[in-house]
Amino acid sequence: MESGKARLRLLIGKVGLDGHDRGAKIIARALRDAGHEVIYTGLHKTPEQIVETAIQEDVDGIGLSILSGAHMTLFHKVIRLLAERGAEDVVVFGGGIIPDDDLGELRDAGVAELFLPGTTTADVIRWVEEHVRPRAIPG
Amino acid sequence: MMLRFHTQTAGCSLQAQQPLVNIVRVTIQALAGVLGGTQSLHTDSFDETLCLPTEEAVRVALRTQQVIAEESGVAHTIDPLGGSYFVEQLTDKMEREALAYIDRIEQMGGIIAAIEAGFPQKEIADAAFHYQQQIDSGEKTLVGVNKYQIPPEEDHQLQILKISSEVEQRQLARLRDVKARRDESAVRAALDRIEQCCRSDENTFPAILEAVRHYATVGEICATMKTVFGVYEEATVL
Repeated sequence: MESGKARLRLLIGKVGLDGHDRGAKIIARALRDAGHEVIYTGLHKTPEQIVETAIQEDVDGIGLSILSGAHMTLFHKVIRLLAERGAEDVVVFGGGIIPDDDLGELRDAGVAELFLPGTTTADVIRWVEEHVRPRAIPG
Repeated sequence: MMLRFHTQTAGCSLQAQQPLVNIVRVTIQALAGVLGGTQSLHTDSFDETLCLPTEEAVRVALRTQQVIAEESGVAHTIDPLGGSYFVEQLTDKMEREALAYIDRIEQMGGIIAAIEAGFPQKEIADAAFHYQQQIDSGEKTLVGVNKYQIPPEEDHQLQILKISSEVEQRQLARLRDVKARRDESAVRAALDRIEQCCRSDENTFPAILEAVRHYATVGEICATMKTVFGVYEEATVL
């Protein structure tokens, strides 16, 4: 890892009934190889489980991979649960098959960035390192 | 020796960018299946990367098979590639490599031990990561993705199939209706019977069929089995 670059704690998660984990695993591995600590949740997690893990592990950012079409429901829920737990400063980003029409609403809801087909792993690493900062953990 | 087999074109080869190109990918793959002698064929719809297929996309997938079967002439010959040294050596190579995997898994104590050790997961994850690196670097070409791209605003705007939330409400209403009309004590007894089978070595299938006949839901049946078996937690392998 380059000196001066912050080592981030990141959670890469799969939510809902979507079994397509190829992308999530590639991103998790690419971020880990870039020097960050990555917790990959495995498949079929509920928004509650994602938020619980994020808080337990004191992560700085959450990346959700959703290819099931349920992105509108699941992103909103994760963001709402984070706010309820006072962890709204955890940066939420995501990727998957998300129609253009839905992008605006998800960004308005607080999804910091959405990576669509054609994104390279280098694009994701660059964005994460520019936009996710280590959080000051109280206590 | 005769091997009956079904072929499905590769969903993972379909791309979101320039989606109509997927029709060409599916055609080549379907033709390969037919040339290989498949008895049964599923062609993917060109919009499957983006949504559940629309009626139009499903029709194109079907027409693809019909063009191969009724226009191309390849189906007039039993084995059009028979005797091709190149195809035969590809088959031999795949067979050799598959057997090498099978031997390795046997040495690990069989597939269950191998899965518990994360072996197949690791192989798949490594291959996927390697493939993505090849796409990112341009070493491997994906037409319309890392070569011959066009700006997104010029790309074909597909009609995306959207499922309205009304569908969920309708299904929930049907479920409530079924539950209101079934014989609750028969359902309870059938579910208990499933649980009994799960706790013993008995075949669970007759009990499941009995439960379905009394309109137990898939959710109730699975929940019953979960009380005995729990839920599989994958060992995450990156």
